[in-house]
Amino acid sequence: MRRALAPAVIAFVAITSPASALRLSPESPHSPNTSDMETAYWVMIVIAIVLAVVINLGLVAALLRFRERRGRPPARVTAGRGAITRIGVALGVAAVAIFVFGVIQTDSARTVAENGPNGLTAAVSRTAQVGVKDVPSLAEVAAEQETLSQEPEGGSPVFIPKEGDPLEISAIAQQWLWRFEYPGGVPGQRTFSYGTLVVPVDTAVVLNITSTDVIHSWWVPALTGQVQAVPGTVSRTWFRADEEGTYTGQGTVFNGTSFPAMTIHVNVVDSATYQDYVEGLNDDLREAQGIVEAESAEAEAAGGGGAEGDTP
Amino acid sequence: MSPPTAATEARPELVTRDAQAPRGPAWVARVRSADHKTVALIYIAASLSLLVMALVQFTLMRVQLIVPDSTIIEPEIFARILSASGVTFAVLFAVPLALGVIGYIVPLQIGARGVALPRLNQLSAWLYIAGAVVLYVSFVYTPGQGGVLGLPPLSSTAFNPDKGVDNWVIGVLLSTAGFVCFAINLIATMRNMRAPGLAWRRMPLFSWAAAVIGWVILVVGPALIAALAMLTIDRHFDGVFFDSAEGGAPLLYEHLVYVFMSGVYAIVVLFAAGVISEILPTMARKPIFSHRAAAGSLVAIGVLTPLAWMQNMYSAPIDLGFTIGTMLVALALMVPIGILVCVWIATLWGGAIRMRTPLFYAAAAFSTIVFGLTGELAYSVIPVGWQLANTTMSQGDTLYVLIGGAVLGGFGALHYWLPKMTGRALGEGIANFALIGMLVGLHMYVLCMGFAGLEGQPVDIFKYPGDTGLSTLNLIASIGAFVSVASALVELGNVAHGYRNGRLVGHDPWGGSTLEWFALSPPPPHNFDAVPDVRSAEPLLDIRDSVRRSTDGVSAPVS
Repeated sequence: MRRALAPAVIAFVAITSPASALRLSPESPHSPNTSDMETAYWVMIVIAIVLAVVINLGLVAALLRFRERRGRPPARVTAGRGAITRIGVALGVAAVAIFVFGVIQTDSARTVAENGPNGLTAAVSRTAQVGVKDVPSLAEVAAEQETLSQEPEGGSPVFIPKEGDPLEISAIAQQWLWRFEYPGGVPGQRTFSYGTLVVPVDTAVVLNITSTDVIHSWWVPALTGQVQAVPGTVSRTWFRADEEGTYTGQGTVFNGTSFPAMTIHVNVVDSATYQDYVEGLNDDLREAQGIVEAESAEAEAAGGGGAEGDTP
Repeated sequence: MSPPTAATEARPELVTRDAQAPRGPAWVARVRSADHKTVALIYIAASLSLLVMALVQFTLMRVQLIVPDSTIIEPEIFARILSASGVTFAVLFAVPLALGVIGYIVPLQIGARGVALPRLNQLSAWLYIAGAVVLYVSFVYTPGQGGVLGLPPLSSTAFNPDKGVDNWVIGVLLSTAGFVCFAINLIATMRNMRAPGLAWRRMPLFSWAAAVIGWVILVVGPALIAALAMLTIDRHFDGVFFDSAEGGAPLLYEHLVYVFMSGVYAIVVLFAAGVISEILPTMARKPIFSHRAAAGSLVAIGVLTPLAWMQNMYSAPIDLGFTIGTMLVALALMVPIGILVCVWIATLWGGAIRMRTPLFYAAAAFSTIVFGLTGELAYSVIPVGWQLANTTMSQGDTLYVLIGGAVLGGFGALHYWLPKMTGRALGEGIANFALIGMLVGLHMYVLCMGFAGLEGQPVDIFKYPGDTGLSTLNLIASIGAFVSVASALVELGNVAHGYRNGRLVGHDPWGGSTLEWFALSPPPPHNFDAVPDVRSAEPLLDIRDSVRRSTDGVSAPVS
């Protein structure tokens, strides 16, 4: 039975490993930052598999070769001076090499790329630090909202970032829904949508991610890595989708009973469609605002002194 | 060198052979006893019972995930099982099993007749059990559903007003407090009660691992106790530690809980490393390849692993400098782990390896941990972690290490040392069979969940959509999980059976080289009548040699 074991194991590995290798590829990246992550993944997964296989083969070889046999006493050898040091130095060098590679890939994945030719703006190259933003004070948030909600003077009704600036969108998590706030919007309101994020293709988009209740996480494997949405803190990530289409994702931090229901959909469209979409959202907002204003005016006229809700 | 003269005088006040047998039923005596061996057996028994709980919970969660869009278990019930399962496996099973084996074996290995603070040691076991009881009492009413780690604000009263979360928090806090008490006693014992001549350079590697584990607990335990105490203050005494609206920081809890969880990870790895470092040389009849390098690696693992806690938080809003530093620390772990792996293989190389069950379990633990740690190596690189942390892929590698270390390493330790604890050997045939089952099931599970993680399956979900190709993978993974769980239950039954009914073996069934094999099996309450002088890292070889020399070729009675 023991003799049959080794060929069986070899056959099993031979059959399963090509199938496994095909499955080993991650979701194909559609943004420069996820391409960097994919490169890092391939390098590291190959290193990991090679190490695991070599060590395990060494273990199995030692076990098979040095089974107790009659007339063969165990050797009483221990490490000579320097043997372990050499191994340690080699491992240290390897660790440093991986570290340098990791730092390069990290930096590359964090650098916001310039917009592509089909992007929302024809932008000049710019690098930005993405990562933690200081916790904004309430006054700062209010001021930011004030500036963002000014209707652009005489220009397009849709906010278009200045040349070289990425499109900054806020993604705000709550149990169990994402709210996306687009720059611009009608006065007093921010343009927002729930559930689905619509972005222009080929445009660098910076996401400011936060949460209003518990800790959530943002992850759309094709476009960005994972980012935690922590209440009171703004995390930032970015992507530049290279192809139109719908990308899905899901959080990875448990956030309550409906955790799996909180999916993310990113709809990547061309610039014109994006502008139409945001303008559509703005129209809806204006309409809603009009209704509210009309109602409150009515209520005031009726002398009811509409206690509920402030006039916008 | 000859044992009769080199042994120290028996200290009469410690010899308990003629002591009165305790009156009353045996279990009362056991509960009241502060003997480190009794306390350790309580630890082992309780932790194995909680392993059964963890296996049941794991099975339930895998049943839920067999089919897509499953509705077998309600989401609330799933969240409760999930919240209990993580701490049951890591805090209530893995750590206390390691502490149980350490608490029994280490005083024997260092030639101590007891422990420095026996009552504190006893208190630690009962604190641990009290914690487990407090957590599981909530299953009578509403168990907590704050997730595996109980991250606030989710675990705050605003989102989880149920009392079950309090049970979770207080239960884990009590158990952790118990572990800290254990660590204090362990460190005090190891510093003060070693046999004459047992310098640290001659300390058996399992004891080295135990000493490092003691210090790791002493550092990471209070971090979790602080986090849970703050959470309790937040929940019931108007605290705002983790309330961002009032200037609190939810991330603080995440940091502290990951400090502890990295510590648990380190404890499991160190425990398994200690067990492997004892079993391989004994079974290969060869000294460890480099005692110094192995001991140094154990210390390095104990220091670096908890320091790399932010490896789990690459996606959190933390300054880049910290995460880069964390990546450096995590990668630095390559050095001690690599050295340890080389030392183990070199120890086997050239030996005369006895193919017995402890060796199989040790080798399986070694192999499985290597799979897990090489995977962790990949995730410790930040861009890889950004994509794959918290997916079922990285979870699979964590399970490789935790199951390889705590379950396979733990069973290996029981096979190796239970003859010392009871004088009886565990059954080997059924154990080997169970080991194959556990390995096949575990690899099936981890491999399939790894592919599922690459397709975007996160951890902790109670359902996945049917149109994503995840269903086949989850089905196979569930089958693997069931095979693994069934084999583990078979092996648990084997341990339970062998504890009372195993074949009687001598005091030194493996021909071990460390001092615990000098004691009787089971050892008397005072452990040793005479404590030998230790002259090398393998004191029992010296004793056998001198006995052989003095009896002039007549076979040595010790081995």
